[in-house]
Amino acid sequence: MRIGVAAVVLLVVVLALGAHRAVPIPFVAVAGIYGAQLAVDDAPLDVAAPAFAAGLVVAVELAYWSLDARDRVRGMPGDDLRRIAYVAALGVGALVVSAVLLALADAIRARGLSVDVVGALAAACALVAVVLFARGRGPTSL
Amino acid sequence: MTRRGTARVEGFALLAALLLLGALALRRPELAILAAPFALVLAAGTTFTRTPRVGAALEPSASRALEGDDVDVELTLRSDTSVGRLEVFLETPEGVEVAEDDRMFALSLDAGEERAVPLAFRCARWGVFDVGNVALRATDLFRFVTWEQRLSEPRTLKAYPRLEPVRRVVSARETQVYAGNEVARHPGDGIEYADLRDFVPGDRVRSINWRASARRQGLVVNERHPERNTDVVILVDSFVDLVGGERSTLDDTVRAAATLASRYLERRDRVGLVGYGGILRWLRPGMGVGQRYRLVETLLETGVEPTFTWRDANLIPARILAPKALVVALTPLVDPRFVAMLEDLRARRFDVVVVELDPSHLLPARPGRKAELAHRLWLLERDVVRMRLEGAGIAVGRWSDETSLDEALEEVTTFRRYARRALV
Repeated sequence: MRIGVAAVVLLVVVLALGAHRAVPIPFVAVAGIYGAQLAVDDAPLDVAAPAFAAGLVVAVELAYWSLDARDRVRGMPGDDLRRIAYVAALGVGALVVSAVLLALADAIRARGLSVDVVGALAAACALVAVVLFARGRGPTSL
Repeated sequence: MTRRGTARVEGFALLAALLLLGALALRRPELAILAAPFALVLAAGTTFTRTPRVGAALEPSASRALEGDDVDVELTLRSDTSVGRLEVFLETPEGVEVAEDDRMFALSLDAGEERAVPLAFRCARWGVFDVGNVALRATDLFRFVTWEQRLSEPRTLKAYPRLEPVRRVVSARETQVYAGNEVARHPGDGIEYADLRDFVPGDRVRSINWRASARRQGLVVNERHPERNTDVVILVDSFVDLVGGERSTLDDTVRAAATLASRYLERRDRVGLVGYGGILRWLRPGMGVGQRYRLVETLLETGVEPTFTWRDANLIPARILAPKALVVALTPLVDPRFVAMLEDLRARRFDVVVVELDPSHLLPARPGRKAELAHRLWLLERDVVRMRLEGAGIAVGRWSDETSLDEALEEVTTFRRYARRALV
């Protein structure tokens, strides 16, 4: 509970300071508490995980939106509505993907080697994404 | 365009990586489930993005404007690819203002679309400005990647100095040979009555004053003063620029020079210009509208170029300082080189007047007894310089925070009127 409150306070501080790079820290802390609690309780597969994932994604998006709003760039009409739709779509997408993964994990009885396999595969995907991004980075000309 | 990852991409990657590590460490698949959306969005955002191809051109509706005027500007944006969000940053130089909303704005462009955005620039100060610089930043849908580009197409905008209200300018003591608005001292063909003299063969019959002739028992003719023009050389002190708040002596100097040049040219006088400072600039005396533009454009180049070399009047070409020319010096009377040059010109019998752009209100005394004492000494030194110039026959008019340029010119005219009487 204390760590959760500290994470919220940290998020407020990060938003107040406009520190874009520090945004993930409070969310990692919250997710860490969640995972640690599950591990300590040795609970069965948490069916609320997709909702938690969707909430986390939406919260992260809203945090970045809050920081983007600090820019004094005059936006287009309907910008806010488009962004709301984007965040909502992201939340729904996260919910669906997480639910599918939860079902998959449940199907293979998320214990033992299966967790490692899923984690390793996801880590590999993340790594590939980062490599793809890094390859495309750098100056290009018209 | 330069591609850059935003802080979001790092944040999403960090979240995905740490959550996956947590899943492995704690052996809980829920953390991997939490990481999955971040990893997927990251993968989609970094993979399915296309480099936008965007161009922009800024075109002012006029290349010349008056200081304080608004100039309509059209910004044309075109894109070969679809851009969801294109942020435009106008990089205006100092002296050109644009509404805060127009300085940075965002829009979207479809593939092949060309859009014209109307803008308005305000010339806050005189000068020559390059207003063609635009920075563009395109962002992908997920806001993970930005493409930045700086476009610089030279577009020159010249802001001419604002003219000060002046009712009457200082008249030169001597006139030249061309027709103008100034009444010459010597008699000749003109309108203004000068004197009577005896008739001599060759005089026109219409100039005979019949009443005076009847009284004198002989033919007497009227003499008249011809209307002639004068030569005026405006001497601009560009050794120093004292700035206080939004005002600066150099800005006021250029405004005063432009005002005087315009007024003298309206009177059909020949006006020349000498910019005396780190860089010596001059413009030969001339008449007409063309000369007015040449003068103002030369004034726009005026700036302070620091120099420690001693300069004197010998540097100024003789053809610029025409004989019998009125030299109107615009100076804050701060640099001793300029003061010495004024005395030198006066010693060479040039008709010199000084419009002093008094900087004392720009530089108030700092708190503290010593600072106040130093300020008072500085003001006393300035009084000494003024008295020295007036002692040499140079009229000094002060244009300060409390007085206008018109009043300064009137002060000069008054001094010259009394100085003449003193000489008689």
